[in-house]
Amino acid sequence: MRQKAKELLESGEVKVVIGYGQGSAPFKSTPIFIEKPEDAHKLIWNPTCVNNLTVYLRDACRQGKAAIVVKPCDARSIIELIRENQIERDDVVILAMSCPGVLNLDALAEIDLADVKSVEWHQNGIAIKTNAGETIIPSEKAFASKCLSCELAESPIADEKFGEPIERHPIRSKYADIEELEKMLPEERRAYWARQFARCIRCYACRSVCPGCYCKECFTDKPCQLWVLRSTDVESNWFFHFSRAMHTAGRCIACGECERVCPMGIPLMRLNQKMRKEVREMFGEEAGTNPEAPPTLGTFDLKKDPDPCSE
Amino acid sequence: MEAKVILKQDLAAWIDALVKQYEVIAPVTEDGVVVFRPVSGLSEMAIEGMVGPAKSLREHFTPPTETLFDYKLEDLSAEVIPPENEERHRVIFGARACDAAALLYVDAVYSNVEPIDTAYFMRREKTYLVGLFCDKPAWSCFCTEVGDFLTNPVAMDVYLTDLGNRYYAEPLTPKGEELIGLGNFRPADENDKAANEEIRRKALERLPKRAEHETACLSYDWDHPVWIELAKKCLSCGACAFLCPTCHCFDIQEHPKLKKGSRYRCWDTCQFEKFTLMASGHNPRETRKERTRQRVFHKFKYSQERYCMLGCVGCGRCIAACPVNIDIRKVLEELEKTAVAK
Ligand code: SF4
Ligand code: SF4
Ligand code: SF4
Ligand code: SF4
Ligand code: SF4
Repeated sequence: MRQKAKELLESGEVKVVIGYGQGSAPFKSTPIFIEKPEDAHKLIWNPTCVNNLTVYLRDACRQGKAAIVVKPCDARSIIELIRENQIERDDVVILAMSCPGVLNLDALAEIDLADVKSVEWHQNGIAIKTNAGETIIPSEKAFASKCLSCELAESPIADEKFGEPIERHPIRSKYADIEELEKMLPEERRAYWARQFARCIRCYACRSVCPGCYCKECFTDKPCQLWVLRSTDVESNWFFHFSRAMHTAGRCIACGECERVCPMGIPLMRLNQKMRKEVREMFGEEAGTNPEAPPTLGTFDLKKDPDPCSE
Repeated sequence: MEAKVILKQDLAAWIDALVKQYEVIAPVTEDGVVVFRPVSGLSEMAIEGMVGPAKSLREHFTPPTETLFDYKLEDLSAEVIPPENEERHRVIFGARACDAAALLYVDAVYSNVEPIDTAYFMRREKTYLVGLFCDKPAWSCFCTEVGDFLTNPVAMDVYLTDLGNRYYAEPLTPKGEELIGLGNFRPADENDKAANEEIRRKALERLPKRAEHETACLSYDWDHPVWIELAKKCLSCGACAFLCPTCHCFDIQEHPKLKKGSRYRCWDTCQFEKFTLMASGHNPRETRKERTRQRVFHKFKYSQERYCMLGCVGCGRCIAACPVNIDIRKVLEELEKTAVAK
């Protein structure tokens, strides 16, 4: 992958390679933007490569052709960006990694993070080296919950693939969490979300990290509007989250980034998976699978769905 | 003031006594996140082996949303209704040394120019702090690099250290002695003092040494290439600033209804694009380069120039929370490398 990145930059085919670099701790990676071929060695690929880097793709493609390192799940965002006319297929070189799963940092709760030396894939999960020795964290604990229900053997869209396709045996239903919520009585469910949203501090990290939230001006940011109050009471927070869920419906590819970055531990994937399930049931579509298909909620077919008002 | 000791078995009774007289705010675990909330007893608290609280104490002094006044419109007249001062005297239990130290900085900001922030100082005056020593600093902590308040606490009334089966308690103010008076404490003996020293030594071993950011910051480079690097990856969210115990910026907003309404303030941050947008349409911090620089300069340079103190207490929250691993320690390292080279 480094070699390919180097070649792409050397030949001038791309202006930048967006990838993962070593972060400020052994269990952290950080997005990097390689512009010189001699810097290609800074790219890394290991279980700490959690970010969905496609959030940077729109801006990068505005500057010229870009290459990007993706996991199979992230690649689905590229499909969405293409079908929503945010980028052109020809403006991006997709360096698709085969991915055994990425680190769920919470799994390391019992390990003294200050003591971690390295984080590597292991056939049974993730191997963590500390001064005290090596610990193998088993897959079902070590990997992010999206990885436990992942069905993608390889990237659904790619220019170059690295590594062998991975045999998938999902050990968790992707709707596991929402099934539990769906069983609740409406008032229980309301109380559940009220408790979650009461914690929200409206830092908008969830929105900012989302590759689907690319609006130039978010409805929350209009300086003189009252679409949604900036106050952090439960009602306003509720309104923010439900509006965002509606805006990303049919487009959310379930990369899990919003939930990962929420500093208040709000389980946003439960909203997203519910929306994905609804969209699948209503339209038979799943976001991030087909770049040729018109956007699910952005198209209106009068033949298929006649408008009663025009009759 | 004399150090005391309380056995853990007596802690619940002490908390009960505190709850009778004060509103007690303490760390609780909610859906896996540690937040400071009013509690009614020890059983609700997550004090034992407390991991880093997600939020600082900030919301208890400047709430994320605070009504400034309500108003009613009647024909051509308007009635302004000030908010009620409902707050009782409070005890914040289990405060971190960094979060307490941050209050001194916010005090300086909110009292620097007239009029001082009365709502904030009202809460400050009515609040007593029972701090808790961090026996296991997190990977992101660097408080000892910016101050010595971990071992010489400030802005607290009592400082507790967990000695296993008992807490070591140092009263730091007369109010602190009074709070300790409500529990079954005994004077600390030589054993307790040695155990306390040992726990401090172990914690300090995990932390970096004091750095002279106060002098280094004066030569931080406005045009340093690090800003361009940060701007590429920063997402302009507010996670770093909204978790920071010293960030204090707010916006004033209106919630008008037909014949009544309210004016409130809510947290805002220089990381948001619209923060410095002016009515003319001009935005002096238009790109992420200016915005990331503002946060670091404000914490280190401007605060030093204005209040002769650092605006960062090294709590590490911005480091742990940043979705893209922007680590302020590394940023300082970059800035100081070239500052030294100059
Ligand atoms: S990241 Fe979490 S706390 Fe921040 S706005 Fe989103 S849900 Fe709220
Ligand atoms: S809403 Fe969340 S899970 Fe869906 S695409 Fe955006 S960041 Fe990913
Ligand atoms: S800048 Fe970061 S480390 Fe410093 S006080 Fe704020 S949140 Fe803590
Ligand atoms: S860093 Fe930004 S948000 Fe924080 S106090 Fe300074 S200007 Fe305000
Ligand atoms: S938390 Fe990180 S990404 Fe978000 S504004 Fe702060 S530095 Fe930028």
